[in-house]
Amino acid sequence: MTTPPNVPLDPQALDPQTIDPHAYEDAAHLLDSAEEVHVGRTLQDARPPSQEEILRVENLTVEFPTEDGVVHAVRGVSYGLREREVLGIVGESGSGKSVSSLAVMGLLPKNARVKGRILFRGDDMLKMSARKQRGLRGRKIAMIFQDPMTALNPVHSIGDQLAEAVLAHELMPRKTALARAKEMLDLVGIPQAEARLRSYPHEFSGGMRQRAMIAMAVINNPDVIIADEPTTALDVTVQAQILEKLLEVKDAVNAAIVLITHDLGVIAGMAHRVLVMYAGRPVELGDTDPVFEEPRMPYTAGLLGSIPSLEGGGSSRLRPIKGTPPSLINLPTGCPFSPRCPLATDVCREQEPPLAETDSGGHYAACHHWDKLAAVEDPTVFFRTESETVA
Amino acid sequence: MTLSAQASGPDTGAAQGMTIVARTQGQMIRRRFFRHRAALAGMILFGFVVVLSFSSIGFMGVPGWWDKSYLTTGALVNQGKPTLSVVPEFLGGSGIHLGEHPFGQDDIGVDYFAKTMRGTQQSIIVAFLVAIVATTVGTLVGAVSGYYRGKTEAVLMRFTDVMITIPVLVIAAVVGRRFGASGVVVLGVFIGLVIWPSMARLLRGEFLSLREKEFVEAARALGTSARRIIFRHILPNTVGVIIVSATLTVANAVLLESALSFLGLGVQAPDTSLGQLINEYRTAMVTRPWLFWWPGIFIIAIALSINFIGDGLRDAFDPRQTRVRA
Amino acid sequence: MIVFIARRLVISFFVLLAATFIIYVLTALSGDPLEDLRQDNSPQKAQKIADRSERMQLDLPIPVRYLDWLGRTVRGDLGVNRDGQDIATILGDALSATLQLVLAATVLAITVGVIIGIVSALRQYSGFDYTVTFAAFVCFSLPLFWVAVMLKQYMAIEFNNWLKNPVIPFPVIGLLALLGGLIFGALTTGDRKRRLMAFAVGFVISGALFTVLSSTRWFADPGLGLPLILAFGLASAVGFTALSAGLQYRGPLYAALAAAVIGAMCSELLNPLLIDPTWLEIGGLVLLTVAVCVGLGYGLGGLQRRQAIIATVLTGLFTGGMVFLDRMLQAFASYSASVRGRPISTIGARTPNYTGDFWQLNLDSAGHLLLPSMALILISLATYTRYSRASMLEVMNQDYVRTGRAKGLPERTVVVKHAFRNGLIPITTLMAFDFAGVIGGAVVTETVFGWRGMGFMFTKGLEEVDPAPVMAFFLVTGTAIVIFNMIADILYAYLDPRIRLS
Ligand SMILES: Nc1ncnc2c1ncn2[C@@H]1O[C@H](COP(=O)(O)OP(=O)(O)O)[C@@H](O)[C@H]1O
Ligand code: SF4
Ligand SMILES: [Mg+2]
Repeated sequence: MTTPPNVPLDPQALDPQTIDPHAYEDAAHLLDSAEEVHVGRTLQDARPPSQEEILRVENLTVEFPTEDGVVHAVRGVSYGLREREVLGIVGESGSGKSVSSLAVMGLLPKNARVKGRILFRGDDMLKMSARKQRGLRGRKIAMIFQDPMTALNPVHSIGDQLAEAVLAHELMPRKTALARAKEMLDLVGIPQAEARLRSYPHEFSGGMRQRAMIAMAVINNPDVIIADEPTTALDVTVQAQILEKLLEVKDAVNAAIVLITHDLGVIAGMAHRVLVMYAGRPVELGDTDPVFEEPRMPYTAGLLGSIPSLEGGGSSRLRPIKGTPPSLINLPTGCPFSPRCPLATDVCREQEPPLAETDSGGHYAACHHWDKLAAVEDPTVFFRTESETVA
Repeated sequence: MTLSAQASGPDTGAAQGMTIVARTQGQMIRRRFFRHRAALAGMILFGFVVVLSFSSIGFMGVPGWWDKSYLTTGALVNQGKPTLSVVPEFLGGSGIHLGEHPFGQDDIGVDYFAKTMRGTQQSIIVAFLVAIVATTVGTLVGAVSGYYRGKTEAVLMRFTDVMITIPVLVIAAVVGRRFGASGVVVLGVFIGLVIWPSMARLLRGEFLSLREKEFVEAARALGTSARRIIFRHILPNTVGVIIVSATLTVANAVLLESALSFLGLGVQAPDTSLGQLINEYRTAMVTRPWLFWWPGIFIIAIALSINFIGDGLRDAFDPRQTRVRA
Repeated sequence: MIVFIARRLVISFFVLLAATFIIYVLTALSGDPLEDLRQDNSPQKAQKIADRSERMQLDLPIPVRYLDWLGRTVRGDLGVNRDGQDIATILGDALSATLQLVLAATVLAITVGVIIGIVSALRQYSGFDYTVTFAAFVCFSLPLFWVAVMLKQYMAIEFNNWLKNPVIPFPVIGLLALLGGLIFGALTTGDRKRRLMAFAVGFVISGALFTVLSSTRWFADPGLGLPLILAFGLASAVGFTALSAGLQYRGPLYAALAAAVIGAMCSELLNPLLIDPTWLEIGGLVLLTVAVCVGLGYGLGGLQRRQAIIATVLTGLFTGGMVFLDRMLQAFASYSASVRGRPISTIGARTPNYTGDFWQLNLDSAGHLLLPSMALILISLATYTRYSRASMLEVMNQDYVRTGRAKGLPERTVVVKHAFRNGLIPITTLMAFDFAGVIGGAVVTETVFGWRGMGFMFTKGLEEVDPAPVMAFFLVTGTAIVIFNMIADILYAYLDPRIRLS
């Protein structure tokens, strides 16, 4: 028995007042405010992550046979997620972030070939019966999708879609499920939750819909929430609010989060650990601060160099990495980043580097020459253009 | 900075064999079309029917290779039964041969193969004329009303609404009653002139969505004339829709023409078309079924092959259903 | 909603008005109404021409004639045809026959087409899917009149001949069994072994079925009987429950099973009523069934009351339908005898001067409707199949379907609640379009089957360049199309909350 019975929410945790007395009192005001909320805040967890791993992904590989050849979307991704931890996954679009998380949810299209192990509390989800897997989905592991405009069914009311998530796992009167739905809408800061239950998605703004999606994700008090670029499709002005709400709700239900994004600022502000992906491969993994301060993989360094400096000072000049990611059908031999890597040597083009521990413990990188990065003060220096370096 | 110089060349990627193979849109469309097996089969079948019908009895005075005419009567051989045989002798048949009258003869001894070929020619001509006229008019109306909106749109679309209320067969029958006897060209043009509204509706939808796109905004901002925007900027983007719908219109027009002729409201004797042949020999079903079968088979062959071609084109231009989701 | 309907009605009225003008003018211009008389050699030629010209007001310009027609129509007078017969009288007979045909074809095409399309989408790339796709293309390419003539020849004449001695020869049974096996196999997905198993099961079941039917001469005197009604009813109970509530919990299943049992028993208990009912009584029974089933679902459904009620009502109606079918079949032998052994008719909309009980009269219209609607249905059926397949495939790829799965909903709920409902939305638009096509098809079908319906009125009027009957035809069909469009619009608004307000 690895999946404990569905315990009702701790009433204390549910009461919005105990979480953040102001968050929802003036939520209406927040929704309209165009004022940007500061993202890069330091993490403050109500309860810090425990050491116990609830989700463990081992050597996950996903391939799609297509007419043009086999797409190697994910190649050997491994990570562990501890209770209440926020794990950030970053990477360019197409690097396999969504596919790897859909694999965890068991939501990939039928033609996908999935290998590896996905252990939820020690149980391999890939070997589970479909029924048992469905029992975990939405109850123990929930997912928030990128585009709230399309992720909600336009023809059913919000309340119905929320209640349905409860009823899928537990037989109870509809009224009870709706009451739970209302509590959740309160929790995520949707004003007039009672009335909003009867609204349809098209009557909600993008931000409100994403709040509703968050409510739907936490309604069964899950252990893991996978958030796939939850703010990419939203207005910049509401992005920060949504992320903050996500963290707040996570604390309320004691869930861990896999936060997928390509916004390094978000990761820096929210994640305990970060996994960097490139061309379907995990290329760097470690605690957020060491990875950002001392990247040990040129791609990460390049990403850091291509955003405005995190410290706020210094030049905010953008230095994008040159070139494009490789085709996932005909992968180059050796390190997939080698065609774009300023540090690439012959060995890079011949051998693909494994994800290995670097100079500090718990900090892994897939690079033959991570020591070269360790040798310089500012690793982003390798991505400066000639003129900049000369000057 | 030797390190960065090494990797910053734009061609390094290609040298590693990692760039996406760049294909022009035309190439991709062609590739997708030819991968569609049914469409290919349709194309071969349709090509065969066209070549057979036009080369056998000739066209517009150019003689064909078939020695009998669709006008002259001959002596009835074996009650006019078809002499075509396709079952080889070793299977107990009478061998593979055409014989004197492969499709048999009609009740007054006219070679039915020649007659069917003539009907096929006529039906194909009508169908293409209908499709060309309906597509042209429909595209123009759809484009103008979709682009200008406002009053123009309102007027044109109300008119289209009116026309759509009338079943196609009904309005075409009324036109066929008037022009059926004037020959296939006139008939085709006039049927085309009454069945364009559905095409206009389709095109209007396309234009409505395309006119909001950035490239149109950009062209407008540059002061490009409306006419140029319509024809040079938007229309090329609707080519797929137009071609597919025109193709399907051909198939529908074959069926429409034959239905009209069957009702006696289309092509009139002594001129002939596939539908007219079926109408003429409708009562022969019991006694001389071949008079009924051959034109039917040719109608189905034409309509089916064109429908398949249309489906292949649709897949080629709009592979949405087979799209890979990212 | 009322404002919406009212607005649509006003617009439709003007659209229809404009359309009548176009049709009138085109018809009047379509030929010479005196053509036949000009060839007349009788001494009254001049008189006849004068009479007809007078009746048709040929001396007036066409627009004036139109206005005159319009004025009289508004007052409820449809005028006379060129031979002086009252149009309203002709219309009265033609109307019910044609509307029956058109409605039967449309309803059948929608139900069957949508079901096939959905199954084929859910089984994409299966043998069934390919077969359906191919069959749909063939249907699109069939000339309606040709099919109608073929049906008349082979389905009616030969079938009636066969009914004289309804024994299925063994090779045919073999073929039918093979077909059954192929259908089973094609509907199954999975590896080859599973499909072979399904094929074998289908082969044996259909083989056995047809052998039994043939050796008991079932076709000569068909019927279901209580055991079969009960069996079908129970099977439907399980099916509908599986679709609406799932079989996980007992409440809904028990409610539906109870409905099936009660329904089957009513076939015996209500015997006195069912011997020769009226449509009114049948309607009452339908209402009663729904009421009882709602009660059952409510009482036994437990926490899944809503789903239970749906499953129970559907089961009840299905079982009732079986009882109805059983009665119809039982009346078959006597009906067949009364029409000299030719139950499938090829001419007309009903047997002239036929009298019989409720079931026999129904069989009579069914026998006349069967072939024309089969012919008429082909194209619409193919259209609905293609559209619902495409629509379902599109919907199954939507993000909200993925969301449904992410919530941990069973696949059944994902398909029925999230995909199906959305997939229906584009179909409603198609309904509006397709209906006009069916009316056009009816014109052709009526010609082949010799119905004196609206289509006949239209073609005859057109041939004679006589606007009055043509206009009567168009008034009725145009109004039907407008109403149908509106039903489609309302359905659309009901299915899609996004447009509810407009
Ligand atoms: N169903 C599929 N079939 C084929 N390729 C796919 C499929 N889904 C995703 N891919 C490919 O897998 C790669 C990784 O995609 P994804 O995980 O969505 O990237 P991202 O990191 O942007 O979320 C992409 O190249 C995408 O094209
Ligand atoms: S292995 Fe070589 S090419 Fe790859 S990132 Fe490291 S240095 Fe660059
Ligand atoms: Mg993604």
